[in-house]
Amino acid sequence: MRQTLYLAWRYLSYHRVKTLILLVSITLIIYLPIGLRVLVDQSSQQLTARAAATPLIVGAKGSPLELVLNTLYFRSDYPEIMRYEQVTRVTDADLAIAIPMYVRFNAQGHPIVGTGYEYFEYRGLDIVDGRQLGMLGECVVGSRVAEALDVGPGDFVISSPESVFDLAGVYPLKMRVAGVLGFSDTADDDAIFVDVRTTWIIEGLGHGHQDLSRPEAASVVLTRDSTNVVGSAAVVQYNEITEDNIESFHFHGDISQNPVTAVIALPPDQKSSALLQGRYQGEDEPAQIVRPVNVMNELLGTILSVQSFITAGAVIVGMATLATAALVFMLSLRLRRREIETLFKIGGSRLSVASVMTSEIIAVLLAGVILAGGLTFLTGQFGSAAIRAFIRM
Amino acid sequence: MFERIPKGGLIALCAVTSLAGCGEPRQQGAVRSLQDDGDRALSVYVVNYPLQFFAQRIGGELVQVEFPAPADVDPAYWSPDPDLVSAYQGADLTLLNGASYAGWIERTTLPPSKLVNTSASFADRHIFVESAVTHSHGPEGDHSHGEFAFTTWLDPTLAAEQAEAILQAFIAAYPEGEDVFQEGFDALADDLQALDQRLAAVFAGMAGKPLLGSHPVYQYLARRYDLDLKSVHFEPGENPPENAWWDLQKILAQHPAAWMLWEGEPLPETSSTLGELGVRSVVFDPCGNAPEEGDFLSVMSENVSNLAEAFGN
Repeated sequence: MRQTLYLAWRYLSYHRVKTLILLVSITLIIYLPIGLRVLVDQSSQQLTARAAATPLIVGAKGSPLELVLNTLYFRSDYPEIMRYEQVTRVTDADLAIAIPMYVRFNAQGHPIVGTGYEYFEYRGLDIVDGRQLGMLGECVVGSRVAEALDVGPGDFVISSPESVFDLAGVYPLKMRVAGVLGFSDTADDDAIFVDVRTTWIIEGLGHGHQDLSRPEAASVVLTRDSTNVVGSAAVVQYNEITEDNIESFHFHGDISQNPVTAVIALPPDQKSSALLQGRYQGEDEPAQIVRPVNVMNELLGTILSVQSFITAGAVIVGMATLATAALVFMLSLRLRRREIETLFKIGGSRLSVASVMTSEIIAVLLAGVILAGGLTFLTGQFGSAAIRAFIRM
Repeated sequence: MFERIPKGGLIALCAVTSLAGCGEPRQQGAVRSLQDDGDRALSVYVVNYPLQFFAQRIGGELVQVEFPAPADVDPAYWSPDPDLVSAYQGADLTLLNGASYAGWIERTTLPPSKLVNTSASFADRHIFVESAVTHSHGPEGDHSHGEFAFTTWLDPTLAAEQAEAILQAFIAAYPEGEDVFQEGFDALADDLQALDQRLAAVFAGMAGKPLLGSHPVYQYLARRYDLDLKSVHFEPGENPPENAWWDLQKILAQHPAAWMLWEGEPLPETSSTLGELGVRSVVFDPCGNAPEEGDFLSVMSENVSNLAEAFGN
């Protein structure tokens, strides 16, 4: 037996190019459909894990997919804007905890997520350096943001204008980093979190400026009477919120009309969830309520149908490759006729010769299976990280 | 000879795969509910002393009430440092006075689901401070930083409503303690009702008569007991500047008050000058911060005594 295996090994190692081609072909035939399946399953799990952990999302009427992608992954264009009163509406219904989300702005390529304190508790995000959001104008950054921007507690992050031509619109706000979140291997690692009111300040709905009633502001006061002071456009507005100027920051108009992109609703039980969903079924209803897991499953349904085509293609290619491999083996038998005759002449039995040939085929097939198994295992281990890295590119 | 078959590739593959590791997405949990904590006392933070007193009376041994403002500040204008903000964030409940009280609440990040606005039930009865100055600049036009009067607890009926809001919040947060909370609330409500009756009696003779407040903190008291009260901005520990006296004389010309309510004992010089203008001083401590001695009810009782002595009731 050892001699048979030795002869097979010597043959394969001598014809290493041919062996290698066969090995690669067989490995890929086995790996492609299985690896693809593993990859798709992992993507599905990744997408649905975060969606499944988010019971309900309330947003303005529009694309549910855009709403979910923006709220969960801080990706895609921001969905239709709705008013903060929708947050209060969920709270007042007393059926769920409402977490406001305003994901519209960014800082140096990282999304600025305006939210509430409960978001961190809900997502299980802990501060590993510094402290939680304390006052307006502060931010906490995800672990990858801290690494990419090389920032930590006490450093600053500056919000970016929405457009380079938006000279009169959103002006940059210098936000102090209060803390850094621990690595969570989710979209939270790539985000900059602020209080939702800080995003309103970025948008210009709230601001801080010098006190117009003080003597040093006289040069920017146009008119003054007992009930009204009119300042000129030269009033100094602050682009950073500090302990010294925070008391001058204020919001104009009705807070309930300020914008948010979504509300994450956390009902305590199924009954509350059903009751809350029922409140958004009216035809004139300006808001929609979605179960993120349903939206993501719909998306995955599309991905899975594409995967079926790819798998079918891979199977056909695999069959063609196997046929080619069989042909290669058969042709090689013909080419090796003299070698086989020599084996007979030196006393090799028909069985021994057949054993050598079979061993060669089995060795190549076995090696292909092992390599494909290894690749599948690696895909299982690193596939999800690779997908996320690819998505972030 | 078979031993010569190289195994390096497979061994390396095995090593790589065994070392391979990749963090699964973190388990995401729901927001912690108070019931998860079993029988432990609720941790409650408040923004002023009256709320601390009400919460302690209602919660008894089941709640740990914290009011971290220093004794020498007015909690309405105080701001906690970041460490204290963290403490407020970690509380099971934070009791707010509402009506624009404690502006720092609007500038800090606190968990909304744990905030209890104790005056929300009578938001339509908040008193807007009409003298607030508006200003305008840029494209937004006129806007005001106007405020509501916030010493709601000086009307004992409103204080009782605030206490009831605390009761409901405690029961919602810790249903097992309902009996204790209800018992504490009932006793407190009785005390507040008794206070209301005493104040009504002492102010009975003052209804419609001009009265002054040294600070604009008595709006709810005045509304409750039908007092014709105007306020100035005198500090008990400071002598008012000359222009403040001129303003007072203008007010007195239209509003000939004989008494001025003070948050604390005024300086003797101030009392003397007021006396020359025909205005006598009487202390009515709003008790926004913890008193050096006694508690909310004893301070209010002393206020009633001061008024009774002054008004001769």
